[in-house]
Amino acid sequence: MEEKDLVRSSKEGNEEAFASLVKKYRVKVFNLAFSLTRDRDTADDLAQEVFIKAYFALPRFELRSEFGTWLYRITINHVRDFLRKTSRMKRLSIDEIKESSIPQEDETMKREKEQTEERRKKILRRAIQILPDKHQVILSLRDIQGLSYEEITKILRISPGTVDSRLHRARKLLRKKLAPFLSQKGGNHELQEG
Amino acid sequence: MNCKKVEKLILRAFDGRLTEDEKKELEAHLKQCPQCRTTQEEYQLILDTLRKEDFPEPKPYFLERLQPKLREVKKYEPWMVWKQWGMRAIPVSLLVIIFLSATLILFSPPREEVELSQAFSQSGLLLLQNQNLFQETTTLLETGGTEDKNMMVIFTSIDDKNGTRRDF
Ligand SMILES: [Zn+2]
Repeated sequence: MEEKDLVRSSKEGNEEAFASLVKKYRVKVFNLAFSLTRDRDTADDLAQEVFIKAYFALPRFELRSEFGTWLYRITINHVRDFLRKTSRMKRLSIDEIKESSIPQEDETMKREKEQTEERRKKILRRAIQILPDKHQVILSLRDIQGLSYEEITKILRISPGTVDSRLHRARKLLRKKLAPFLSQKGGNHELQEG
Repeated sequence: MNCKKVEKLILRAFDGRLTEDEKKELEAHLKQCPQCRTTQEEYQLILDTLRKEDFPEPKPYFLERLQPKLREVKKYEPWMVWKQWGMRAIPVSLLVIIFLSATLILFSPPREEVELSQAFSQSGLLLLQNQNLFQETTTLLETGGTEDKNMMVIFTSIDDKNGTRRDF
């Protein structure tokens, strides 16, 4: 069955059709939630809630846009609400606990190159998390998930010009925060808040 | 071209959003400006790292865990179902209101009775009338209630015929 037919059947209450849509989109919704929260349990909870919201909003979905676009929009709004409710400091401390719980033996067993790569990813994650929410969202959609400009304009309901300016602002902010690390290639600097 | 403008071109180049002329301009500038080359390398490193970001596997039994939750919401949070069907329920609610108003007009107390109560000023009779009025209101409310229920039954049966009952 084609996606449009699945959506139509789901709107009419067909359980199997909705289950197919869940199967098709669960990873995408989870990944988007994960890229914005950096926590597997939280991302899983949020993804479940997104599908509950979508299920009850389906009768009002008029198929004017793609189902995926509509679902992404629900996901972003839901994760944004979550981020607003959870304080930034709390999120960072969760992240730190998770990172420090990695066993030391594992680290030493890794090759040096992998270690540098890991450290770079870790610093990058922390840098993203202290960016304003709208910049986190645009980086997640474009640079992490690799969505097209066209998809992003539809999901966020903004013009290509706004995608440009917001994305560039986000990348510039990120580079600014990573400046000490980038100049020393692998140095262990504290990230600046704000 | 100044380096600030070049930074914009570098960023747009990552999204394949440069014209042929802009591409040439950028290349020419990068050849003679080590500072902008460093800028480009740094952005490249950041974007490469972001794109290589690995995601954990979503937790297992996603659908199996979702389905009972949907059932729970339907059971214990009827407002969600109301929200879900809200738009379709508006015409039905209007019908119920029209029906109720019609009932109120048709079954309002007869004129003679009202005139009679005005003619007799004894407090006992007034009290009796009040009681009657009160009783009538209660009856009306009760009829309203059953009509509401009837409408709900009709509403659900329409859904059933269309196969739109959303049981999971
Ligand atoms: Zn330059």
